Amino acid sequence: MSERAILTEGLSKSFGTQAAVAELNLQIQPGAVYGFLGRNGAGKTTTMRMLLGLVRPTKGSTRVLGHDPTREDELMRILERVAFVPQRKQLYPWATPAELVRMNKGYFPRWSDDAAARLAQRLEIPMKTAFRKLSIGNQSKVALLLALAQEAEVLILDEPSAGLDPVMVDEILRTLIEDHVSQGHTIFLSSHHLGEVEQICDWVGILEQGHLLLESRLEEIRQEFRLVIATGEGLSVASSSNVVSATTDGRFRRYVVAREADRFAAELRSQGAAILEITPLGLRELFLHLVRKEDSCTSGNAGAKREAVSSFS
Amino acid sequence: MYVWKCWRETRGRFFFLLTLFVAIAILLTLLPGLQERNGSLYFDRRDYTIPRHDPSVWVNLVSLMVLSGVWGAGLLSAAFLGATSPGSEFETGTIEYLWTRPRTRASITLTHWGVCLAEMLMVAIVPTYLAATLLATLTGNWNQSLLLVAPWLIVIVGLPMLGLTTLMTALRRSASSGLLYTAAVVAVYLILRQIANGPLHLQLPPLFAGPALWLMTNHRPYPIMFPWGSLVRAVLLAAAFPLAAQYLLKRAEV
Repeated sequence: MSERAILTEGLSKSFGTQAAVAELNLQIQPGAVYGFLGRNGAGKTTTMRMLLGLVRPTKGSTRVLGHDPTREDELMRILERVAFVPQRKQLYPWATPAELVRMNKGYFPRWSDDAAARLAQRLEIPMKTAFRKLSIGNQSKVALLLALAQEAEVLILDEPSAGLDPVMVDEILRTLIEDHVSQGHTIFLSSHHLGEVEQICDWVGILEQGHLLLESRLEEIRQEFRLVIATGEGLSVASSSNVVSATTDGRFRRYVVAREADRFAAELRSQGAAILEITPLGLRELFLHLVRKEDSCTSGNAGAKREAVSSFS
Repeated sequence: MYVWKCWRETRGRFFFLLTLFVAIAILLTLLPGLQERNGSLYFDRRDYTIPRHDPSVWVNLVSLMVLSGVWGAGLLSAAFLGATSPGSEFETGTIEYLWTRPRTRASITLTHWGVCLAEMLMVAIVPTYLAATLLATLTGNWNQSLLLVAPWLIVIVGLPMLGLTTLMTALRRSASSGLLYTAAVVAVYLILRQIANGPLHLQLPPLFAGPALWLMTNHRPYPIMFPWGSLVRAVLLAAAFPLAAQYLLKRAEV
């Protein structure tokens, strides 16, 4: 499969004057497990809905498995091969999970009854209870079962573990890894639980107010990304393109550096700065540094906070 | 599949309407034979075969009684079944699920329309044909042309209402609000029509309910012409409303 699983170019969506997604460029390779992160209202769900034809883009283009979701004939080809778990996991309240499974399998040519039965057992879903009588956690599990049993090439999961207890989250992640990641299926996942993203994803993109702040391999974040804390007057970092964000906290300046942190620290020292700390960053720290509303550094590369840093290049 | 979903969701209303109209039809068919004697009610089938009655006039009279009870089957079932159309799934929050199945929005709207049409036919045919059979058995007269043609006309008149409810539900994105708006549109139309026919003396022909009115008034000895214009308008509206609803849903975002 040579085409990208998901490709967006300048994808934008506005609701009135409010930009929900702005100039989003994503290139997700087949087989990638992509964690799409952001605060509430960052534009994650709107992006996912545009990929599935539920929302029309204001500008830009998008392709899922090479097809354009804004064209109905192509959208049908996408929907046959893509499974979606929405944020609001609402299904027909009168239907039992067993009925939902029967109803759902008729839609999808690759539906697996074996997978459905296995998941029902593994996730401990009461299959004969009406959906409206299930707990929120069980309702989420039913939505996941319906998506995972499709044996889809691409899974788009919008906060799939919301409402689930840690044991079930672990079961879901193991299922995703064993049944889907190992099969080379592409997973595009949004979640607020950064731990689970770190556990399963190989790529992450961080979205803030519709803008992609950062896109990188998780491995690269672990190995290369550093937090540099410095103090000093009139620091300029214009020459460095590796600074992802720069914030001021009283006398201290905090820089998130994508690579070559030591070289960057040396540059700061040459300007008279004192380097207090150079520490590796976990995904959680990186996320908080990027999306927290702190005073941005006014000089140098502060503007980089609004530019996506991509490791695809 | 969506056919099954539509059936599963509407079957409660369907069985309620079917039972209601079967009961009405049977009751109205048997009503002429019900008599009170010594404070208790009993049924005397001899009333249906009294020689002084002209069998065809008697059959016609009882048929009209039955039709006065079941003619609303089309409109009532159309309104209640139409409110379960895909537009109502915005309110229940299942529209995301529905629209991420690989089926076009047009096919979903038309599938729902088809299931409702089948149910409307059953609600109209079963009580009327049951009444016709019962009446034929009681009178020995098997010429029941009025009752045999009635359900088809009742359904044709009901279809624009099904379409209107489907459209209003899509417009309001809610079943209850769709029903309310349908009732409002019908009420406004009836008031305007009353004004046109009353103070303005325009004598407008029925928009689409003509065939149902014809059923009720075409009794001998004063047969009236079949309202073909009204029938054509009913068919056109029956097609136009679902198409408008489908267009609305096709452009809708979640």
